[in-house]
Amino acid sequence: MGLYAVQSLNALSFSTLLLLTGLGLSVVLNLMNFVNLTHGSFFLLGAYVGVYWLASGAPWWLAFPVAFVAAGLAGFLLERFPFRQFYARTHLMQVLLTYGLSVIFADLMRWGFGAQILSAEIPEALRGVVFIMDMPFPIYRLFIIGFGAALAFALWFVIDRTIWGAVVRACVTDRGFVETLGLDTRRIFTAVLVISAGLGGISGALGAGILSAYPGLDEEVLILALIVVVAGGLGTFRGTVLSALLLGFAMTFSKVWVPEFSNVVALAVMAALLVALPEGLVARKVRQV
Amino acid sequence: MSSIADGTGRVETRPASERRSLPMTARVALLALSAAVPLLFAGDYQLRFLAEILIIGTAVLSLDLLVGFGGLVSLGHAVFFGGAAYAAAIAAQTLGADIVVMLAVGIATGMASALLMGVVVMRTIALFFLILSLIVGQIVWEVVFHWREVTGGADGLRGFPVLKLHTGFATIPLNNGVALYLAALVLAFAAFFTARSFVNAPIGRALLGTRERQLRMSALGYSIPRIRLMALLASGAIAGAAGALYPFVNQYVGPNAVHWTMSAMMIIMLVIGGVGSLYGAFIGSAIYLGIQTYVSSYTDRWQLVVGLVFVLTVMIMPKGVVAGLKAAFGRRKDAEGRS
Amino acid sequence: MTERFPLSRRSFLATAGATALTGAISAPALAQIANKPLKIGMVTSLSGPFTALGESMRAGMQMFLAENGGKLAGRAVELIVEDDQAKPDEGVRKFRKLLGQDNVDIVSGVISSAVALAVRDVVTEAKALTFISAGSANDLARKAASPFVFRPTKTNWMLGHTAGQWAFEKLGKSGCLTIAADYAAGRESVGDFVASYQQQGGKVGKQLWAPLGTTDFGPLLTTIAAERPEFIFSFFAGSDAVRFLRQMREYRLHGKVKLIGSGALFDQEDVVSAVKEAAIGGLNTCNQSPTAPSSAAFTKAYQAARNAMPGEMGTAGYVTGQVIKAAIERVQGDLSNKEKVKEALLAKEVETVFGPMPFDPRNNQAILDIYVNEIKDGAGGPVNQVIHTYKAVRDPGPVA
Repeated sequence: MGLYAVQSLNALSFSTLLLLTGLGLSVVLNLMNFVNLTHGSFFLLGAYVGVYWLASGAPWWLAFPVAFVAAGLAGFLLERFPFRQFYARTHLMQVLLTYGLSVIFADLMRWGFGAQILSAEIPEALRGVVFIMDMPFPIYRLFIIGFGAALAFALWFVIDRTIWGAVVRACVTDRGFVETLGLDTRRIFTAVLVISAGLGGISGALGAGILSAYPGLDEEVLILALIVVVAGGLGTFRGTVLSALLLGFAMTFSKVWVPEFSNVVALAVMAALLVALPEGLVARKVRQV
Repeated sequence: MSSIADGTGRVETRPASERRSLPMTARVALLALSAAVPLLFAGDYQLRFLAEILIIGTAVLSLDLLVGFGGLVSLGHAVFFGGAAYAAAIAAQTLGADIVVMLAVGIATGMASALLMGVVVMRTIALFFLILSLIVGQIVWEVVFHWREVTGGADGLRGFPVLKLHTGFATIPLNNGVALYLAALVLAFAAFFTARSFVNAPIGRALLGTRERQLRMSALGYSIPRIRLMALLASGAIAGAAGALYPFVNQYVGPNAVHWTMSAMMIIMLVIGGVGSLYGAFIGSAIYLGIQTYVSSYTDRWQLVVGLVFVLTVMIMPKGVVAGLKAAFGRRKDAEGRS
Repeated sequence: MTERFPLSRRSFLATAGATALTGAISAPALAQIANKPLKIGMVTSLSGPFTALGESMRAGMQMFLAENGGKLAGRAVELIVEDDQAKPDEGVRKFRKLLGQDNVDIVSGVISSAVALAVRDVVTEAKALTFISAGSANDLARKAASPFVFRPTKTNWMLGHTAGQWAFEKLGKSGCLTIAADYAAGRESVGDFVASYQQQGGKVGKQLWAPLGTTDFGPLLTTIAAERPEFIFSFFAGSDAVRFLRQMREYRLHGKVKLIGSGALFDQEDVVSAVKEAAIGGLNTCNQSPTAPSSAAFTKAYQAARNAMPGEMGTAGYVTGQVIKAAIERVQGDLSNKEKVKEALLAKEVETVFGPMPFDPRNNQAILDIYVNEIKDGAGGPVNQVIHTYKAVRDPGPVA
């Protein structure tokens, strides 16, 4: 009983990490119809920033806003050039451009931060464990669950329930129309991309406590995030959340029951999902033609 | 609904001979002559390297059928190629490595995995197709990586017999650079002409149609899943033929050959060479492998170089290096003509 | 084309060298050899998952050559380093390039076992003198052993076997749980550990396998917490090892359950320096230790040069240099007769940073001292301290 309670928390904390990473990716994809494969690089950048910040002795909680700012800044520059030129292009060209950029960033980061594995010092306050029916569960993971849930809720609220969100969504549907309202749509897109990159950075800083930071992490994370976002269905917030939970629980419980086949099981679950629902968990109604 | 592929994949419908002033026979002769040049100057290592470029180029060519003509960007393409490579290496241990048998095994495996992939990914398009093919590819990789008794697991397979060609008179071992280069050359030519006749045949035109106007094609009575499956099978057969020879260049095959990064590498090669051009597959493979092999001798930053070349190609020459250079050249000529 | 290799000027030099040793024309012939620079090729991983290890290995070799003034046996040395990305296909291509285009006299390096296995036939066919610096698949010393390949490194068996002995003697006769990365090296290490532990009468409990590149060990650690084992044998390397150890501590298992593993789990430079306190108390069996007496001078020099304690790969690069030097000096710089080189190298042991290193004539595999290291807190952070040495451990070799 205690075992399964803790395993569920394990699954929840991993799902939250997946969700946080996926959200950044899904925001640009859903709101701007832009596939951004440099998202893994934002994650890794955030992870490195987190590692260095937590080791520096400065107030630990600042690590997350700092990672947000660092990755957001990178996103801001990239949006200026060359992302902006590719908004109107096909998904294929976007995939190619951003994948190429991610290769460049991976090498630049290896150059700058070295090839060694760096692990983050979890702040003293979050280092303990709680015992749930006699089984230990790390407080840091509870922190991730809470932080992630709050962040996801805030994001959902802004996009779905405020005028800001409405404007952004309107931009996607009819950019010209929004322009006639006197709004600068280019600035709106810049803002969305910065927020997305920042989210990548923040999840990197959070994740570094569990995953460490090293060359190659960017790609591992990107693949998982891509699967989460696409399997969730494009254009929906709910889909990404559900999909992150599904993948998180599949990966965790396959490790509990059949650790040797855990990857195959988790992949097969996601494949079965896409075979059954070729447009993802929650499909947006799209007019054909 | 936006198609994932660009409109770069248009093919000339007229026969090649009409396009240029040179007649067809002269063009073929010229090509054959230039293909013979390395035999005179290159050593064993260089010829093997060229063979590898041609074999991987052939696999990229088969990917071009899907990406350039069907708008199907697959991140699971390495399964066709690597799966055939494993099948050939395993079959060689019991059947002996007769090149004809190997090619048959490879083509059959390539088509079988294409069929499997086709059945699974049939209903998905665009990004969903990309991700589903990635997942299917990774499942295959997991199996290959862990099934130590059959695939050798992470260590891969080695120590299988040398590739042989049985002629009526004698058995020729294909274990040196010259023989491997010639075998790869024949494979590449055969694959190129097969692919070209495929895209020029009605099925190829229909495939283009499914990419450009899906709904209209349905309305005309075409079965889109069927057309796509045919394309996958053709692509799988070519990739399988290339995969069948791959283990024998290095006398080794490992799980890397089916990993998604292999598929990603093929896409990079295809884009550098030119999507939808068919011949670009070989150019892209040569450029990529050339950079990787030679630039890495001088600097640890070779990935940066590959990344930059790739990004610049995408930004400046989205139709590939050759088309890009041609266009740049053409413009200059035009300008000269006017002045 | 490879047939070209043994012929030509080289074999002329061989006969010349042979006659030279017998007397008369010795001086001019040797001078001719001495004038030609010695080309050493090294293939290691400078991108991909083993990047950090590859950089250390290269640094170790460069350190060694620098200490020798860039000369071995009087010949100037040219080192050509190539990147294999830890991919066998790349590795093979790079080996062919070194042999076919750069015409190196010696090839060396390699971290991944898969690469070492893949290049085995290439170097054997080319009859190239090869020194594999790492790569520990048992087959490399058994089925895939080659007369041209020398292995100044360990096999998985050497570490797993000794770990099994130590665990039975010191950690407990039962209550053992194993957890390892689910790929060739992990399976072999655990297999050899279990065989040796059971042979003595130990009882093994649950055996867990984690996929290579596992990001979240949480579910497995929760399973372990529920199992309550006496001690754990484990095999992980690189980022997997770092995450496993960090998350062990996160789940409060660190310090509660004794942990023993193969060397890579507590590699000084790659893992211990990253996980810091989470490594303390850990045990491992390894052919390398920064605190081994034979490593004292090297450890100091490496720290000065790289600002880090040496791990296995940095040391392996250096040791490869030492073994090459021994081979080359014992034949007065003349590598043309490979049989002679082999004889000379097998004739007596080489003093290396790993410890005294004789080679097994059956498979050219090094016979090594295996250290049992415990991670203890030191002045410069946690460090691998030798607590026991298994002398002259020899892989069962081709008969196994």
